Amino acid sequence: MLDIDILLQQVTNGLVNGIGYVLIALGLTIVFGVMKVVNFAHGEFYMLGAYATYIVTGAMGTNYLIAVPVAILVVAAIGVLANYVFFRPTRSQHEVVGLMSSVALGLILMNGVLFLFSAEPKTIASPFSDKVINVGPVFLTEQRLLSMVCAAFMVAGAWLFVTKTRLGKMMQATAQNIDGASLSGINVDRVYMTTFALGCGLAASAGALLGPLVSIYPTLGEWAVLKAFVVVIVGGLGSIPGAIIAGIALGLIEALSAGYISTALQDVFGYAAIIVVLMFMPQGLFGRRAK
Amino acid sequence: MSGSRNAFAVIVLLALPLLTGSDYLLHLLVLCVLFSILALSYNVTLGYIGELSLGHSAFFGIGAYASAIVSVRYGFSFWSGIFLGVTVAAAVGLVIGVATLRIKGPQFAIVTLGLGGIMHLVCSHWVGLTNGPMGITRIPPPTPIGLGELVVSFDTARSFYYLALMFLVVIIAICAVTRQSRLGRAFVSVRENDHLAASVGVDVFTTKLAAFVISTAMAGLGGVLYAHYMRVISPDVFGVHYVVAMLIMVTAGGRGTILGPIVGAVIYVVLLELLRPVGALRLIAFGVILAVCVIKFPDGIVGFLSRRNLLRRMPSRMDRKSAA
Amino acid sequence: MTTAMLSIKNLSKSFGGLAAVDSVTFEVNEGEIVGLIGPNGAGKTTTFNLIAGAISPSNGEIVYRGKAVAGLPEHRLAEMGIIRTFQITSVFSKLTVLENVVCGAHRTYRVNFWHSFVAWAKYRDNEDALARSAHELLRELNLDHLADVIADELSYGDLRKLEIAIALSAKPTLLLLDEPAAGLIPEERAKLVALLGKIRSLGTTILLVEHSMQVVMSACDRIVVLNTGKKIAEGSPTEIAATDAVVEVYLGKEYKRA
Repeated sequence: MLDIDILLQQVTNGLVNGIGYVLIALGLTIVFGVMKVVNFAHGEFYMLGAYATYIVTGAMGTNYLIAVPVAILVVAAIGVLANYVFFRPTRSQHEVVGLMSSVALGLILMNGVLFLFSAEPKTIASPFSDKVINVGPVFLTEQRLLSMVCAAFMVAGAWLFVTKTRLGKMMQATAQNIDGASLSGINVDRVYMTTFALGCGLAASAGALLGPLVSIYPTLGEWAVLKAFVVVIVGGLGSIPGAIIAGIALGLIEALSAGYISTALQDVFGYAAIIVVLMFMPQGLFGRRAK
Repeated sequence: MSGSRNAFAVIVLLALPLLTGSDYLLHLLVLCVLFSILALSYNVTLGYIGELSLGHSAFFGIGAYASAIVSVRYGFSFWSGIFLGVTVAAAVGLVIGVATLRIKGPQFAIVTLGLGGIMHLVCSHWVGLTNGPMGITRIPPPTPIGLGELVVSFDTARSFYYLALMFLVVIIAICAVTRQSRLGRAFVSVRENDHLAASVGVDVFTTKLAAFVISTAMAGLGGVLYAHYMRVISPDVFGVHYVVAMLIMVTAGGRGTILGPIVGAVIYVVLLELLRPVGALRLIAFGVILAVCVIKFPDGIVGFLSRRNLLRRMPSRMDRKSAA
Repeated sequence: MTTAMLSIKNLSKSFGGLAAVDSVTFEVNEGEIVGLIGPNGAGKTTTFNLIAGAISPSNGEIVYRGKAVAGLPEHRLAEMGIIRTFQITSVFSKLTVLENVVCGAHRTYRVNFWHSFVAWAKYRDNEDALARSAHELLRELNLDHLADVIADELSYGDLRKLEIAIALSAKPTLLLLDEPAAGLIPEERAKLVALLGKIRSLGTTILLVEHSMQVVMSACDRIVVLNTGKKIAEGSPTEIAATDAVVEVYLGKEYKRA
């Protein structure tokens, strides 16, 4: 007999987690769509977002709500530097070189944080963590509600940015046809820099918003990037709508399977989903077909 | 092939362990050989067909565990272990390759990323088969070979070195012959321009698959040797450390060459030891080295020296302009 | 009457609702040089790509030497002897000119993987034959002096010649050329025409898509004209130049004046 209350709770959990996954994955798919490179260090920028928030709230004692945008900006700036050092020089070479470069970047970032902060898990102090809210039969902590709402805003904001602003349209143009874009006067270098900063900023925002929900540690990026990959492959590399749908779907499927089947199998589901999608629909739900 | 140069190299390699009595140095020599095998295996995927296998440690680990399990639990000989380790690693490689190599793009790298983690998970939880996180201990050294009255056993570093060296030579031979063969040229054409390769008749998918399976079989072989040398393995063999190691060895040494991965392996083993006192900074150092090699020295040390004509390119039959 | 080497029947391809190629029918006979022309958007590139296996038709058939080949993957077509070149320069840029040509000879090997391990004499002979053919081919195209030059250091004209060399190295029976004269100056175009004639005399049939009237009129035995996806004319160069429909749509008054 299906208990409606439990079902609603699981669905809510799924939605909250799902929108988080969308936010994590969005930067990755946008960067791929425009720059045609997969950033294997994407998870590390998520982790940096969490740590930056931790530092700003902890060491400087700033309010969480101020710390989040600060952290995002700081990490986006790191992203600009990373793009300049790791991606710009490798663009002209075989695509595998860019991938390797991002792997190296991830290594440096993760071990750098490990060295500076040790492997000990840290907690981000947020004024919202503790209180629980009732929305009908469903329970949510304030932090989870906040993160869900903010994540939804960030996703919507990114969508509007890419579709409505001039810079966003330049990004789309570059994504569709780089030669055409540069011939029509678009500064591709500038577009790439902005895109990468956006990607890192989105990842960092996910880290800042979701960070207080868990304890953070330097290898957090590994978990994040795997979730991002499931979302991005199922949704289609480079597709924003795909990432939104796939992210929410992943959240829902995980929550329902955890509730009704088992928690241990969650990660396996994600991996299996990737393999199945690749075999039957290699371009994902919304990706561009090769032939 | 420059016969005299190769003969000289072989003599040096055979003589090396006789130059020292230090167990520590002999251990390092064995590690150099084992890592060379791993690096050469990784080179087939990264260097020959240009695909980034981020879970290659999975195949190394599969080889190690397959052989360890059958030799410890069922008393199989080392040689059966080799056969099994190579076969199982290649079989898994075949499955992954079929699932991912048809698609053009980074999907292969993405899927292989999770492979090591999944294997680690499986290994840690399937305690009945793998003894879980405790790992497998008391793996026997390779079965002694009897030649009449003379019995050659492999329980010391020095003797294992020669055994591993023999396998390394076989692997080098396979790589060298493959490279000059039709398949080897197909590898290169697929890596450099797969669309053009298809237009002259190269079956891109099958070519990539062949390279990947060869690569995983070799990694499996490396795993078997590793297991029977270290005598102890744990799920850590599936760790990302080995993938990073392989990446560095091939990129720093020189992808696409044969000498490159070997040079890279030696450098890696040396660095591993030199940087040991530094602890966590070691991994940052490896990240920086990898970045520098990828961004600044894409052809690695061997490529760099070849460019400067300090290392003569191995002449091939194609060079004979007088062929008329 | 001999059966045509390549037979296109009612070939159609639609993208979304737009018919890029609409029921096109023509044949290419062995030993011919056939040109496929038409104004921009006529569907000639799409038709070419359908024949070359890059895209699959929505309708119709493509028969090569009696076998239906529509929708087969590119490497299968190449194995059968259909070799194509590309509109955008496509070579193995990091390899030498000689290596480029040897890589192109993939389907001509008389040995396989195992021979390189055990049948060394056979393998060696094959390698020698490959080297000989490669150098001979390069000499024919006046590229032999550049044999050890890395491909991306070549001039544009030499690059285009290298592309043809790679295709020829595969010993095609049907050679599909995608705008081979693009970017060439008139002297080079004349040399191209001569080259096409020589390739044909060595036994290769040629189908080419081309914009340059100089090349098409001088080199082709027959011309097929497309417009908005449909075939509007077919015939020898003189016949085509005299067909009103073609002159009106494509050649324009300028050619008649010339």
